Amino acid sequence: MSAGAPGALDRDKLYTARLHAARVRPYLATALFALHTVESRQVPTMAVDRYWRVYVSAGFVDRTPVRDLAGVWVHEVSHLLRDHHRRGDRAARLQGLEGPGARLRINIAADLEINDDVFGHGLVRPAGAVTPQHLGLSGGELMEDYLHQFGLGPRTQALVWLDCGSGADGMERAWDLGADGAHGLSAHEQDAVRFRVAQGINGRPGSAPKGWKRWAEEAFHPPQAWRELLGAAVRSAASGAGAGEDYSYGRPSRRSAGLPGIVLPSLRRRPPRVSVVIDTSGSVSDAELGSALLEVAAIAQAVGGRRDLVTVVPCDAAARIVHPLCEGEGIPLLGGGGTDLRAGFAKALQAGPPPDVIVVLTDGQTAWPAVRPPCRTVVGRFTRPVALRWNEDDPHYRPDRTPAWARVVEIGSGAGR
Amino acid sequence: MPTDMPALSQLDVAGTLLALLGETTTEPRPDDRLEALTLAVAADLPVLLWGEPGIGKTAALTQLATSLGLPLTTVIASVHEPSDFSGLPVVGDDPAEQGVPMAPPDWAVRLVRAGRGLLFLDELSTAPPAVQAALLRLVLERRIGALHLPPGVRIVAAANPRSSAADGWELSPPLANRFVHLQWTHDHDVVVRGLGGTWPRATLPRLDPQALPAAVDFARRAVCGFLTTRPPLVHRLPSGETRRGGAWPSPRSWDMTLRLLAFATAAGSSREVLSLLVRGTVGDGPGLELLAALDRMELPDPEALLRDPAGAELPERGDQRQAVLDGIVSAVNRRPEKSRWDAAWTIMARALETGAPDLVVVPATALAALRRDEWDVPATIERLAGVVDLSRRADRAAEGAGDRAGVPAGARP
Repeated sequence: MSAGAPGALDRDKLYTARLHAARVRPYLATALFALHTVESRQVPTMAVDRYWRVYVSAGFVDRTPVRDLAGVWVHEVSHLLRDHHRRGDRAARLQGLEGPGARLRINIAADLEINDDVFGHGLVRPAGAVTPQHLGLSGGELMEDYLHQFGLGPRTQALVWLDCGSGADGMERAWDLGADGAHGLSAHEQDAVRFRVAQGINGRPGSAPKGWKRWAEEAFHPPQAWRELLGAAVRSAASGAGAGEDYSYGRPSRRSAGLPGIVLPSLRRRPPRVSVVIDTSGSVSDAELGSALLEVAAIAQAVGGRRDLVTVVPCDAAARIVHPLCEGEGIPLLGGGGTDLRAGFAKALQAGPPPDVIVVLTDGQTAWPAVRPPCRTVVGRFTRPVALRWNEDDPHYRPDRTPAWARVVEIGSGAGR
Repeated sequence: MPTDMPALSQLDVAGTLLALLGETTTEPRPDDRLEALTLAVAADLPVLLWGEPGIGKTAALTQLATSLGLPLTTVIASVHEPSDFSGLPVVGDDPAEQGVPMAPPDWAVRLVRAGRGLLFLDELSTAPPAVQAALLRLVLERRIGALHLPPGVRIVAAANPRSSAADGWELSPPLANRFVHLQWTHDHDVVVRGLGGTWPRATLPRLDPQALPAAVDFARRAVCGFLTTRPPLVHRLPSGETRRGGAWPSPRSWDMTLRLLAFATAAGSSREVLSLLVRGTVGDGPGLELLAALDRMELPDPEALLRDPAGAELPERGDQRQAVLDGIVSAVNRRPEKSRWDAAWTIMARALETGAPDLVVVPATALAALRRDEWDVPATIERLAGVVDLSRRADRAAEGAGDRAGVPAGARP
């Protein structure tokens, strides 16, 4: 333990760095302290495994300043908190990546995800930490996104020594103590630590940077693709009682023949009428709107609706994209309403037989009807980039904006993940 | 001579081939999900298995029924009519006078006659809404027409996740609240080995008759103690589209959690199994908080440590150790006495000798701040000089960090 002996791990220096890291990132303290330190001569620098052990090279600690070491601590614990080994495994499986070269790319992509937002505010970026700028990429993206954007080549030549261990990319290393080794954390214990860190960040908004806040929000509820959510919402609205496929006494069941005098219901299909109200205020891109509209039409057809039962009520601003799309798809078009969404609702409800479901595609910056419309309502809300929002402090939740009687699906968030 | 041979029909040959293919063996393999399923079934709580079609939910149920010695009745919900669950009307002599009795289907009659069994309601998510409504009554009230399911019958249902369900059925919050939700995914290794002829055989948990009273006591203490400190978690309806149809906390689901906690304790199950059950009953957030509270219950009691500081046993894991040290400081803060303050310093010194020093810095600083003017500094504080030094070095690192933040690393020596 003596710091002076050559080749021995200077634990005091290592722990001083951890203390510094815990002081500048208090919300990570639980995770930092949960790591079990293992001295290893095989590790080039510092590396983690999937059981929350951190392997440390004595030489690396010796030649690295405390401030840089603190950054390395935070960097390594970020790999574990962000579940990079499991995500790395998944990415490797999905894309057929095999071998050390592919795992190095996963490690680099994971490093980019961490390094683009954890440093600064009292924590220095350690020497040699790779950033998106080094590879000519833009920052703020996820490991999975970075993975597509670079290959191993001259730019990454300097990084081949880089090795954050199996906790970063999912590939077992020679020095790993494995599942049976002492002081590992079980899956449940890892979840518990991760949960406490997320709670600490959510509980004290303002102190953590945006990247960590996003992580904390999604740690236990990963975002779902909006297509699936919108599909489930529209299907469930269209197949509820009174619409879609259900039992009806309107016609007797085939079983009635065997039970004279008894009326049994039979399965009937009454195709749901779906009205799509579109309000864009000019700020929704044609591509976004087109894909959402096509999605709704496809779902309505899948639940038994016919094209002639899907109507579109466009507001003036959206007419240029809605018209060609609906003409091409054979969707009947109702005349344009005002730019006020309440007018769009009124227009949709005026239609011949009233719709069973109203699907509203909007960016949310509009007025809503004061009373609940007499049919199920699904709102597909386009999420706007932070810069376009009018409330930057509370970018995700505006409970008073959309009425409680509508089911709201955020469109454009979490897609493709 | 081929004519002498009894002509082997092609179907017989096919039968032999099928028999060969059917010859599989099993190997023991721990399976947390199967253990969780077994415990929930033993606790007589309706379980809902969420999983993509074709990943072996039925196979798991078959194994469970065999090991519990229960006959398995599978009902594919989507091919039935509502009257199959609410009863088929049978016309008697004078319907106006005697009413129309609702006759139950044959499988229900057999199940009631047997008095025990495992009822598996498959494909819930593709049944029309009216069938689901009829099934609700079966799951919630255990009634089929005029029949009442005996207590020996356990119910397990299966549903496809929303993303793969053709009709997008989802559970209403009241219904979701009555199920233990278990996610069923396939394990790559198990599937490959199973296709090779060796299927896993899970060793199922056994309840220890000796441990029952202690298990009930522990479960009540854990859940009540936790809800006392976290009143908002007693009842919280799910909000947001992503959390629809899942587990959420309510007095009912907390009662289920208590029951599962007692069963898991009596069976000596691991935390992993308990985690699946608790999170599947009250949801991820409240479940994880309860589990964290259980972890804290297992940590040494600060008061006990203060009574015997010399023999203090501190947890090995850093974050737990720090939680204990913080607990000691707040215990001293609650009842500040010189002897307790001294005892706390002894424990700090022990912590320093047996583990990483950086954990001690924050609690030691907080403890030092609790000093009253009339209290003498104990000799043990000398042993904490290293901590002060560590803290000072970290301060220096912090001072230097400010001006270097954001500058590419390696710019300075």
